[in-house]
Amino acid sequence: MRISTNSIYQSGISRISSLQSDQAKLQQQISTGKRITSPSDDPVASARALEISSAQSANTKFADTRQTAQLKLNTLESNLTSVTSLLVSTQSTLVGAGNASLSDTERGFIASELKGSLDALIGLANTQDASGNYLYAGFKSSTTPFVANATGATYAGDSNQQLLQVDAQRQMAVNATGDNVFQGGGNDIFATLSNLVTLLNTPITNAATQAAYNTGISTAIGSLKGSVDNVLNVRADVGAKLNELDNLDNAGSDRALQYSKSLSALQDTDYASALSDLAKQQTIMEAAQKSFVQLTSLSLFKLI
Amino acid sequence: MADILSIGKSALAAAQVGLSTTGHNIANASTPGYSRQVVIQAAAQAQSSGSGYIGQGTEVASITRAFNEILSKQVVSSQASSASSETYAAQLSNINNMLSDSSAGLNPAISSFFNSVTDLSANPSDIPTRQSMLSSAQSLINRLQSTNSRLNEVRNDINTELAGSVNLVNTYAKQIASLNNSIETAISSNGNTPNDLMDQRDQLVTELSKQIKTTVVPQGQGSYNIYVGNGLPLVIGKSVMSLTTTSSPTDPTRLEVAYQSSGKSTVLGTNSLPGGAIGGLLQFRSESLDPIQNQIGQIALVLGDTFNKQHQQGVDLNGNAGGNLFNLATPTVSASGNNTGSAIVTSQIVDARAITTSDYRLQFDGTNYKISRLSDNVVLYNDPAAPTPASLPTPPATSLDGLSFNVSAGMAANDEYVIRPTRDVATTISLAITDAKKLAIGSSTLSSVANTTNTGTASISVPPAGSTLTGTLGLTYASGVPGTLSMAPSTQPVTVTVSGVPTVYPAGSPITYTSGATISVGGLSFSITGTPANGDKFTLSASGPSDNRNGLLLAGLQKQGTINNSSTTYSSAFAGLVNGVGNKTRELEITSAADAKILDQANTAMQSESGVNLDEEATNLLRYQQAYQAAGKMMQIASQLFSTLLQLGA
Repeated sequence: MRISTNSIYQSGISRISSLQSDQAKLQQQISTGKRITSPSDDPVASARALEISSAQSANTKFADTRQTAQLKLNTLESNLTSVTSLLVSTQSTLVGAGNASLSDTERGFIASELKGSLDALIGLANTQDASGNYLYAGFKSSTTPFVANATGATYAGDSNQQLLQVDAQRQMAVNATGDNVFQGGGNDIFATLSNLVTLLNTPITNAATQAAYNTGISTAIGSLKGSVDNVLNVRADVGAKLNELDNLDNAGSDRALQYSKSLSALQDTDYASALSDLAKQQTIMEAAQKSFVQLTSLSLFKLI
Repeated sequence: MADILSIGKSALAAAQVGLSTTGHNIANASTPGYSRQVVIQAAAQAQSSGSGYIGQGTEVASITRAFNEILSKQVVSSQASSASSETYAAQLSNINNMLSDSSAGLNPAISSFFNSVTDLSANPSDIPTRQSMLSSAQSLINRLQSTNSRLNEVRNDINTELAGSVNLVNTYAKQIASLNNSIETAISSNGNTPNDLMDQRDQLVTELSKQIKTTVVPQGQGSYNIYVGNGLPLVIGKSVMSLTTTSSPTDPTRLEVAYQSSGKSTVLGTNSLPGGAIGGLLQFRSESLDPIQNQIGQIALVLGDTFNKQHQQGVDLNGNAGGNLFNLATPTVSASGNNTGSAIVTSQIVDARAITTSDYRLQFDGTNYKISRLSDNVVLYNDPAAPTPASLPTPPATSLDGLSFNVSAGMAANDEYVIRPTRDVATTISLAITDAKKLAIGSSTLSSVANTTNTGTASISVPPAGSTLTGTLGLTYASGVPGTLSMAPSTQPVTVTVSGVPTVYPAGSPITYTSGATISVGGLSFSITGTPANGDKFTLSASGPSDNRNGLLLAGLQKQGTINNSSTTYSSAFAGLVNGVGNKTRELEITSAADAKILDQANTAMQSESGVNLDEEATNLLRYQQAYQAAGKMMQIASQLFSTLLQLGA
């Protein structure tokens, strides 16, 4: 076939430039570490990578939320620990109050000690977290949940549980409401303490008042025990949740690792094959350049 | 002797023509569109004599160009396809590259927006967290707007390029017509073909076919008739028709190509202009750019609308009902510039989840109003009654794709309107809230809780939407025959309805418990069902600052199917868009490479026929040089013969 001189140059140039563009592509893959530099390189993998990135971002967010949940539950737990120890010390004080040899004055001392405990307990029940939200007020976190009155304290919060999305399928309550913690199970700890103070301040004058006193103390011991059990139940629940958060964290990190692996498999350059391709391309390029120069240097005009 | 001299002279002259033609070929070896020229030599008319015909030397019959009409037609037609797919691919690769940065796409902005909603759900009363949710909503809007403005730039570039291409077409048409004239004159004056002019004209035809699909019909007198697109005459002999660009009647920002003939201009649709850069641009705009921009708009619209709807279900930090977080534009309605009536058409989004990425056309033929979906030309409405929201199927009927139309009186026959529900949404979307306290993360639904320390099995119902309550209402069950419920506070009379029979209890008195009875107090009604134990408590309360119920629902939208009739999540919709663009770009890269290959082959075939080969010309140069030398030698011999004769006479 006749070949025009133009065609020889044209095809030489176009072949070399297509080799150059292949090399540039490989070079880009190697220098960026990404196999996919635009969606057209691999449309399916590009879309898949976007979806995995979204899932990855949500997974990271769940981990953040779990940290928030952990913080809230830890705050709750530490406050409940104080509540428990206060209640336990009140219990031992109360055992002493059952001693029949106590004088009215001595009972008065115990009464003021218990009054102090009551105030301390109301203080604990009205604890605010770092952001100034009341721990035990439910959704009404800006309202002081317990207001002291003559017979104990009234609850001004609500019974709502704040749920946090700690994992894709798990919403976890991260608060305990005051009505459940301090007034649940039929035992109102504030009323119990308030009644005790009144009882201890009432002088024992005869057998009847003595009997009333004894009954009062034993009722109080019973309901105080109920309250302690109640708080311990809430603590057990908080502990179980903290434990669950740890497990979710582990599962979450496993998932994060899985997502990174999938993303890497979809997007990252396979250096071994990219580098060997580059070497191959270079060999072809050199051959093309040499043969082009040799071919075009052949001209009849050189000989005439 | 005279004969020998004149034969020598004719040979000398022919060799000279051969040399200059070879020289011309060498000189034009790299001239685009040049066809090598060949000297056709013929023996001169012989002289009859008694002994037979004596040759009278040679003459140059003609100088022709090596040109194959069929090969040339192949080049012209493959040039048009190649230019079209190359233009389309180049335009789409702009978008492909724009989407290539995974950190700059829409998905990261959507993710970080919803992450901020999740953050806020964990700390609903925290003002800085609220502020940061507003900021990330603004970033999402910015991302949508910048994506769309990039697409609008591409749209404007198309207008510029169309105008440029149409200009080129008109210029080429004029040049071809004037060459037609020159060639015709040259041929008719001496019958010889003006090879270089013809090359120039063929080159112009090839250039023309880069802009638009071109068909050449050669005429007897040497002129070309040129037809473009689907057979529109552009050049007929010496007369020229022209193309022009004009704004679309239903979209002033969109240039269309129109055909001008005898003072009338007709807008040409995408389908009547295949091939060439113009075909590629028009095809890219209608097949890729429009749908892509509409898809971005659809994501913006559905995200904004579904978020707004859920946000309205909530209450903000001030205890007020939530409003819209995003301002969303209503569908754009463009009346055709050719309308003669005065009707005003409006359209509203009724159900964003049902919105498609298509545009719609509303036409009136004098009797019927017709609404058709442009993506597949399905007629959604065809009725003599003008569409008004009331006359349309009420949602969630999907037949009108989540849109309502309202047409005022005064429409004239053949009036038309184009409705674009999604095109501009990503540009016009804005934040409706600037006060972070107005983010409605709490729920407007009153909460009703059976206390966790209850020992009975009774449960309390959720009060219906619209119930009102200030503060908290507590109920405590006291066992007995019958069991009673006491309320705190108890300042209002209570109505208990059992099997349709109401009983009113005065404020302050406990009510008799009946499982499942409707208890109404103030603006609130609910029921308690089951068997409560003594001392069991139930609490009803309104939202408080730490209420995050609506926040959880808002954050949950990200995972929900919302787009395309609730089938696709926001991020899957965007991933689908990226996948679509990637696939189409790849397809076009392959098509345009194949088209380029075909063009390359056609060009090589053409060049193999018409192109200059310098080695061949070197051979010719030697050949004509030798012919020249031989002719000279012959004349020298003739001269010597003559002087021999003279010497004989001396």
